[in-house]
Amino acid sequence: MNGKWLALPFVAVLVVLSLSPSASAIPAFSRRYGTSCTTCHSDFPKLNDFGKAFKDAGFKFPKDDESFLKTPPVLLGAPAQAELWPHTVYPGSIPGQLPVGLRYNTYYQQVSANRNNFNLVLPAGTVGSFIPKSDFQPGYFSIFTAGNFGSDISFWVDDDISVAGANANGALGDAYLKFKNISRLMKLPTDSLNLRAGQFELDLPFSQARSWNLSGWDIFSEANIGIQNGLGPQQNVNNGAAIEDAANGVEFSGGHAYQGYHYSIAVFDQNTTGVYISPPNVSPQNGVAFNSDANFKDLYGRLVYRFNLEKDPASRHDVQAAGTTGPRDHTFLALGTFYFYGRTAQPFSGVLSDGVTPTVLTAREPFYRIGGDVNFNYRTFNLFGVYLAAHDHNLLPVTAPGAAGITGFTPSAAATFSGGFVEADYLALPWAMTIMRWDQVKSTADRVNFIEYNPAAPPASSFFSPYSATRNRFTPGEQFLIHANIKASIEYQIWPQQIVYNPATGVALTGPFRTNALIVGLEFVY
Amino acid sequence: MKRIGLLPIIVMAALGTAAFAGTIHGKVSGVSGESVVYVEAVAGKTFPAPAQHITIDQKGLMFVPHITAVQQGTTIDFLNSDSVAHNVFWPSISGNKKLGHNLGTWPQGQKQSFKFDNPGIIPLLCNVHPEMSGYVIVSPTPYFAETDKSGAFKIDNVPDGAYTVTAWHEGAKSKSNPVKVAGDTTADFALTK
Repeated sequence: MNGKWLALPFVAVLVVLSLSPSASAIPAFSRRYGTSCTTCHSDFPKLNDFGKAFKDAGFKFPKDDESFLKTPPVLLGAPAQAELWPHTVYPGSIPGQLPVGLRYNTYYQQVSANRNNFNLVLPAGTVGSFIPKSDFQPGYFSIFTAGNFGSDISFWVDDDISVAGANANGALGDAYLKFKNISRLMKLPTDSLNLRAGQFELDLPFSQARSWNLSGWDIFSEANIGIQNGLGPQQNVNNGAAIEDAANGVEFSGGHAYQGYHYSIAVFDQNTTGVYISPPNVSPQNGVAFNSDANFKDLYGRLVYRFNLEKDPASRHDVQAAGTTGPRDHTFLALGTFYFYGRTAQPFSGVLSDGVTPTVLTAREPFYRIGGDVNFNYRTFNLFGVYLAAHDHNLLPVTAPGAAGITGFTPSAAATFSGGFVEADYLALPWAMTIMRWDQVKSTADRVNFIEYNPAAPPASSFFSPYSATRNRFTPGEQFLIHANIKASIEYQIWPQQIVYNPATGVALTGPFRTNALIVGLEFVY
Repeated sequence: MKRIGLLPIIVMAALGTAAFAGTIHGKVSGVSGESVVYVEAVAGKTFPAPAQHITIDQKGLMFVPHITAVQQGTTIDFLNSDSVAHNVFWPSISGNKKLGHNLGTWPQGQKQSFKFDNPGIIPLLCNVHPEMSGYVIVSPTPYFAETDKSGAFKIDNVPDGAYTVTAWHEGAKSKSNPVKVAGDTTADFALTK
């Protein structure tokens, strides 16, 4: 009997629990407006169209926000003070009660029998790492606070206080102020220009930091470090940035996520090494280290257009479509594209052209990520996908004849990867969503690098040593809202094929295998 | 001669009405807040449906008023005053799921009407905003009242006689007591959750 079936009783208990009929959810906005999570989320944190409109409006109801507030805001100045500006501080407000929400999740996982195959590379009798068949694991404990300060200024801060890292990887996630509709100051169309400043997830087609899946989309987590061993074409690329990483900078945006066009352009720190600099000779703001690891600023842009295919004429121009069983999201087709342009900087010790004088030479390698996305919704069925291609310029160090060290760089074959995902979500019941996912990453470098897998220094990734340059992952799943604020999720991850090589000879020690896993998650927000 | 003959009849009828119309008053205890007290159906008697419509508003993500008591046959207009769409439905009437009904969804400023021909307790819900809750209590007779916050109530113009009187409170077990009305009559109810 396959061990994964041992998890079924646990799953069954969760299914039974999910039949509980009552609903209550009270994170920050629920408390503020006295409304359920399901007003904005179809399966939290997945937003429905009203939730997107609420976010676009600066965490407000799109119309007549004041009439929905259960706790009035605290005024930081009478509205009439605005007439005195600039001779007074412009009046704003803060939420009438502390807008704080908390979220915690916990996991159980069951891994297939080949999970310890990589110990085959160890000499006989060596104690290797041990991966258990099943395991209970704590997840993130997150605090998030959001709202608006009046005058179309909204804020968001979330932090996974139980782990280190940033954004999709934990710790401080998004932390920004957003100045909504500054277009009105320039007499441009309403909502055509907003400004966001702080730390934020790039305007990805689908948020990795607030994904509703138990595991993130692989392509958004992919870095490009190029081929680092001698088993493939030599590459001098060491770009640790993934598109899901937190960005520090400013973002201009316009339009809406729930209808018509939407665009964003972000300018943010380059940091492809993950190193934060705390120099001794200057005092950064508040003693915080510098985030940039070079002078260059990265750029990200996105443009999407959502075609409204809703046939109900009465509600076609509303935020959601009407129906006898309540509003639902419109039928729509959204087509988008995105582009990320950055530049890595790798400093090396070298010599000047005289071949003797020591100097520091820097390989500045431009890179880009370009992609497209599609999102189709019909009532409670949502089909969407992303394709992304990555290209990193590759500058190889060269040493002039007779020189004592490297004297420059020469362009060579670029380091590339590509891939994407397709996902179908079907909300069969208001509390049950079925998910089918397919992830793909094509990276020759990933395959070549891990032929020389070193058990003494295993990679941080849970996936290594791909059998081929193309990694395919299938992930069926099911999610249940036990209450509007409590969710049980199940994923069965059919992982890409892997293979174990003898790191010294490159000879395969196993045939291709998939280390599949059943993951059960339980989370709640309040 | 004919005029003289009708007068005693009219006088007798007027006196009769005055003499046999009583009042039920009392207090609902054991719960806090508003309750509804009504006289159950009287065998052999029917009452004309009121022509006047009652309005229940959806405003600020709430049913306003939260509790509405009406006579059987009353038409209620459900108004949406919010800038978000609302839905109105009830899964049952007094637990009878066959009487559940969905009025659909409509935008701000519009209303949908429904005539409540079946007596009972009707929990109003909105499937867009599951936290929204309201109640319509459809009394089979015109003899009903909503209590004040202290639980006190008064039902006027109840003809003398024997009745079954029911007290309802949200979240509590309804209680029906036999009440013999003779003029000014007291009937208290102790409800439990």
